[in-house]
Amino acid sequence: MKTTMNHPHGRMRFWIAFGAGSVALALVPFLTSSEYVLRIVTVVLFWVGMAGCWNMMSGYTGYIDFGPVVYFGLGSYATAIAMTKYGVPFFPAVVSAGVAAAAIAVPMGLTTLRLKGAYFAIATFAFAETMKQVALEFDRTFRVSFFEGSHGITLPISGLDNTFFFYCFFAATFAVMLIHYGIEHSKFGYGLKAIHEAETAAEIAGVNTTGIKLRAYVTSAFFLGIFGGMEAYWITYITPADVFNVHKTVQMVIMTLLGGMGTFFGPLVGASFLTVLSEILGTAFVEYYLIMVGGIIIVIVLIMPKGIVGSIKDWKGIRFA
Amino acid sequence: MAILECSNLSMYFGALTAVEMVSFGLNEGEILGMIGPNGAGKTTLFNCMVGVYRPTKGNVYLDGLDITGMKPHRICRLGLAKTSQIMEPFRAMTVFENVLVGALHGGRMKMAQAREESARIIELVGLADQAEKPSAAISVPARRRLELARALATGARALLLDENMAGLNPHEIDQALELLRKIRSSGRSLIVVEHIMRAVMGISDRIVVLNYGAKIAEGVPQDVVNDPQVIEAYLGEKRPSVVA
Amino acid sequence: MDTLFVQAVVNGLLQGGFYAAFSAGFSLIFGVMGVVNLAHGELIMLGAFTSYWVFAYFNVDPYLSAPLAMALLFAFGYLIQKFVINRVIEQPHIMSYILTFGIHLMVANLALQVWTHDFRSVTTSYSGYNWFIWGINIPFARLLTFFLALAVVACLWFFLSRTETGRAIRATAMDKEVARLMGVNVREIYAITFGIGAAITGLAGAFVSPFVIIYPEMGLGYTILAFCVVVLGGMGYMPGVLWGGFILGVAQSLSTTYLSAGISVAITFLILFVMLIFRPAGIVGKGTVA
Repeated sequence: MKTTMNHPHGRMRFWIAFGAGSVALALVPFLTSSEYVLRIVTVVLFWVGMAGCWNMMSGYTGYIDFGPVVYFGLGSYATAIAMTKYGVPFFPAVVSAGVAAAAIAVPMGLTTLRLKGAYFAIATFAFAETMKQVALEFDRTFRVSFFEGSHGITLPISGLDNTFFFYCFFAATFAVMLIHYGIEHSKFGYGLKAIHEAETAAEIAGVNTTGIKLRAYVTSAFFLGIFGGMEAYWITYITPADVFNVHKTVQMVIMTLLGGMGTFFGPLVGASFLTVLSEILGTAFVEYYLIMVGGIIIVIVLIMPKGIVGSIKDWKGIRFA
Repeated sequence: MAILECSNLSMYFGALTAVEMVSFGLNEGEILGMIGPNGAGKTTLFNCMVGVYRPTKGNVYLDGLDITGMKPHRICRLGLAKTSQIMEPFRAMTVFENVLVGALHGGRMKMAQAREESARIIELVGLADQAEKPSAAISVPARRRLELARALATGARALLLDENMAGLNPHEIDQALELLRKIRSSGRSLIVVEHIMRAVMGISDRIVVLNYGAKIAEGVPQDVVNDPQVIEAYLGEKRPSVVA
Repeated sequence: MDTLFVQAVVNGLLQGGFYAAFSAGFSLIFGVMGVVNLAHGELIMLGAFTSYWVFAYFNVDPYLSAPLAMALLFAFGYLIQKFVINRVIEQPHIMSYILTFGIHLMVANLALQVWTHDFRSVTTSYSGYNWFIWGINIPFARLLTFFLALAVVACLWFFLSRTETGRAIRATAMDKEVARLMGVNVREIYAITFGIGAAITGLAGAFVSPFVIIYPEMGLGYTILAFCVVVLGGMGYMPGVLWGGFILGVAQSLSTTYLSAGISVAITFLILFVMLIFRPAGIVGKGTVA
């Protein structure tokens, strides 16, 4: 089996390709004058990052998380509340969103990661739905003004243009990809993959499975919180139904599944493909999109469980990154 | 000096008694054979020792330290590792990477050092020519050696080998025995569970016999094999396979 | 005793009987095949819609047309298992529930395309008919559904313990390799089991059509409820379905009455979450832990 990445030339080739691609991407705002194109690329970046967050946890460990949107939502609310009620400027607000999400992820991870398979999936989903209800009912129950329930929160108008947000999401997504690279080559990454394959055998071989799973889960939550904060500021208005919407989870799952779970390029391929596809179908065809997503999931599970990148890797027996 | 010791170890699963009041010690540099009919509790005993199960009663000591009920990865890092009867390689990884996991996590080495150590161990067990193959695609004898290599890479000083020679032909068994002797002379202590009498008799300094979860005999191979209780345990149940 | 409290408990029990009926199929499928059917709610939705359309076009009472829903859903479930789910049944379980999740998305959104977002309901002559016993209001339709639901669970129990096929199903659930050796066609049993599970779930959907709002996206909520019921009662443990149903029904009813509907939903999820973490084998502890 060729392992190009163990070969010094292979690694260099990867960095050249990835580096060139990143630089080209970073220059997009200057290469196009179309606000539409800029927005599309920003959305693609957003979903690559989001799918990447799901991949770094569920893709590599095989623990299928059906509730990642909860950290996105928590991040959105943390940023919105910080900015509207406490006058915190954007960047600190976003960072605190990540920190808040990560802080909540620690006890949540410790409790749920003890579960396996479908139980883990449903528990994480239940947690996400519970948080949505909390955001909706909290104020009314405790007679405070905090989450603002179904009215939602309106963030300060940024007055900033799409280019600013492009670079925000670019930076966050780039960080997520760097973490992927770290996973692919590190002790941590080998631990994750070992857990996926044979958790008990890994434990016996010295892998601190609880610690490693938690690390992946919390890191993923941190970045989800950051994406949530950025998105909140960009669209300016958030409600519980929006930011805790299971649809976002579905997107993360299908994009990673299609691209290839537990691979470096998986989220990139899957997110790009599906974002462009749904853009082509247009907002009038949201239902068609979901039908197709359902169909894609079925087809992938039956025929191509390793996704596009995973199947190519298998077929050619190589590693890309 | 006992590097590993079990004291009155018992394991109950509800109404089922899998292990009952088992006590014995593994001396430093010793190869201890463990035999007993299928279902005698040998695998359960091993699982209790490495922390996969928390024993219902009793204690396990490693180098005098009470490791009873500790988490498996901690026990591994303290120096006790095991191979599994049902082999579980990390299928998506290569042979080399499987061993690397043991070195990185169990042996707590940094990447460069872990790679070196893994290469060395793979050489030792004779898998060097298959190092880059996917671990799902190698033969049964190779997989057995991979299990062993992964356990060795953790740096464990005491190793529990659960039927590591199952499925090998006589020639392969001889090679395996040679390997075990090499491992012992590099300073490790082993408990070897096997059904192949020739192997166990040939390699063990002492033997422990289990039946229905309890220890029924312990001593040098000659004595154990002539022990009436041991003979009774095997006659009428599974005859130990004597490979000529 | 406080009438409001008793009313809430009665409502909860009535609801709980119904919960038990539509969760029995979910538990059966998991118990026999280890498949967590995330498209479960869609089976209820399809049953309810069958009932609705038959009522709308032919004016047949839903309780009378229920057998039709049962037959259609049996066919649907049987075919899905036979030709789709059976392909991944030997693989790690996560594959099967990702698969059923895909089926959920497809079916729910196809239904949305075909039948639109419109809310529908089945209003029979007796829809508003209530009984008052000791000051407690008992809607006739709900009471009828309650007894039918219990009858369905009882029939399923009888089927599994007394018939040849039922025994084959139970044998497969206990040890499929041995069942295979005994001559059981395991894949066929799987298909039949899924068919039966789908059938009784569709039946439950038909039973509930007189008093809930029917719409294509209604499924997901029911899937979660079924999961709650089954985790409470014990996955794969049939009698537990009744426990789980009643407990959940009463808990929801009490929290809706004394707190709010929104909090009731939060409490449902909280119960589920707490059960999964602390007692995944169910209240009585007889469930299978995944």
